[in-house]
Amino acid sequence: MRHFIKRASPLLDLALSLFFLTAATLLGTLFYRLDFSDSTIMMSYLLGVLMIAVGTSHRIYSLLCSVVSVLLFNYFFVDPRFSLQVLEPGYPVVFLALFVTSFITSTLAVRLKDAARQAEENAREREAAAIQIENERLRSTLLRAISHDLRTPLTSISGNASNLLSHGENFDEATRQSLYRSIYEDSLWLNHMVENLLASTRLENGEAKLSFSTEVLEDILEEAASHVRAFSPNHQIVVEAPAELILVRADARLIMQLLINLLNNAVKYTPEGSTVRITAEKRGGTAYVTVADNGPGVPDEDKPKIFDMFYTGDQSVSDGRRSLGFGLALCKTIVKAHGGEISVSDNIPHGAVFTFSLPAEEVPLNG
Amino acid sequence: MDKTLILVVEDDLPVQNLITVTLKAEGYRYLTAQTGQAAVITAATHNPDIILLDLGLPDLDGVEVIRRVRSWSNVPIIVISARSEDPDKIDALDAGADDYLTKPFSVAELLARLRVTLRRLNTAAPDAAPSVFRNGALSIDYAAGCVSLDGEEIRLTPIEYKLLCLLSRNVGKVLTHKYITQNIWGDSLESSTASLRVFMATLRKKLTRSPDSPAYIQTHVGIGYRMVRVEENTE
Repeated sequence: MRHFIKRASPLLDLALSLFFLTAATLLGTLFYRLDFSDSTIMMSYLLGVLMIAVGTSHRIYSLLCSVVSVLLFNYFFVDPRFSLQVLEPGYPVVFLALFVTSFITSTLAVRLKDAARQAEENAREREAAAIQIENERLRSTLLRAISHDLRTPLTSISGNASNLLSHGENFDEATRQSLYRSIYEDSLWLNHMVENLLASTRLENGEAKLSFSTEVLEDILEEAASHVRAFSPNHQIVVEAPAELILVRADARLIMQLLINLLNNAVKYTPEGSTVRITAEKRGGTAYVTVADNGPGVPDEDKPKIFDMFYTGDQSVSDGRRSLGFGLALCKTIVKAHGGEISVSDNIPHGAVFTFSLPAEEVPLNG
Repeated sequence: MDKTLILVVEDDLPVQNLITVTLKAEGYRYLTAQTGQAAVITAATHNPDIILLDLGLPDLDGVEVIRRVRSWSNVPIIVISARSEDPDKIDALDAGADDYLTKPFSVAELLARLRVTLRRLNTAAPDAAPSVFRNGALSIDYAAGCVSLDGEEIRLTPIEYKLLCLLSRNVGKVLTHKYITQNIWGDSLESSTASLRVFMATLRKKLTRSPDSPAYIQTHVGIGYRMVRVEENTE
């Protein structure tokens, strides 16, 4: 019903009114033939007006139909039939009663309809407001954490560079190398932060901003792996190609970012020489991707909170910039935006396994 | 042979400095330009072997520079873009750029791209296209319409064959999804792009004998594909 109230056009309203008036008249004729009383016939008109009030988009229709139904009743069913004349003196009162009753009925129906619509609108507005408040809260937390996360590596970069500039010649070669390396690593970290920020601004405006297309899952896995390999020479990153071709409907850049975060996370929390294994499979209409490492794993008490904004796990790490919490929270947001799920579990004999799901697509062929 | 001459078009001086220091260390000769106008003029007067072009220039859009240079020259153009969004790269590639680098890039990455481009310059026969294409263990006989890997013929569907020919004729170049679908299907509809991904995946499988065999076709997620020249190890 709601559906069709919303779409109503004047023409449709008019047709609906005529339909119910005709139906009421036909029903009245049937009752008349069956020798039912006048009041039964009046009931059929009342019912018609009520239906019109519910079905049409404006009250003018039910108002007019109240009047018309009184005239119809008079014309078809009151002696002398097929004229608007009235012989019995009591009838004008009956007409008035019929008009008033149908008028009130239709008014109530319209009001009921309006109230329902209003309630729906209010609920929508409240929901939107709640989302907005939540977004604002997230944004301010994000900004605070980001400015911290950006300042820390910047301090180290500018500090180390200025040391090297002003008295680089006083340092021995090993010290210089370590300063160079720390500048390099901090700049990589900054770049990683910026990529995550870009991804999150794209997510901020909802799904409208995402560019979904049909992608071969293996390509995305391979490209993300090769990206992380370039910066993590001391870890083995292996992509185990799925046996079948898996297609997903996804924003490729965001899924890459998600994988890069999971891989960087694995690299960061496992000792050098560890292996990170990416696998994918399709079960039913869903693709599952796992990123498994053979490091120390994630403690059970951290598992439920690991995807929360800015949860940093080991709180004892003194420089808070190991707050990869942002990265994992972003992973969750990305997976959610694709209608999937992400979880963490234990690897055997030790290590962490991150699993996320994406809706799979059927193979289209246009050849 | 003369040392390779590279034109570096970059308005940001620290980045230009980074590139030129790297080029000098590797023994390349270079020229620099800070604006699009200057780049077009320098390209015309000095005839460089490779152009490294930043897309965000103060005067001309980088894509416009590519169009102007392409109007008379086929010099390889490697685009450097700070904009990590894909559409800019795709526009540049569609306008005729050969390859792209996204800032921040590593020095190793920059040098690798230059080597790839140089190898392409040196192996590309300037005269009529050869009737047999060889790349590592892969060989395509255009006249006979057959493809073999390690001397063994591989069966391809007509579309896979067309794709392989298109990629091999542009070896070393990143071809965008749009460019490929327009060449193969004559349109760039979403459905064609989806099919393209499937055909590419099966084609790549057919070109991969074992897990450690070289990847002839590189996927650039969200952008397109490229056939890479693999090191000649046979013959």
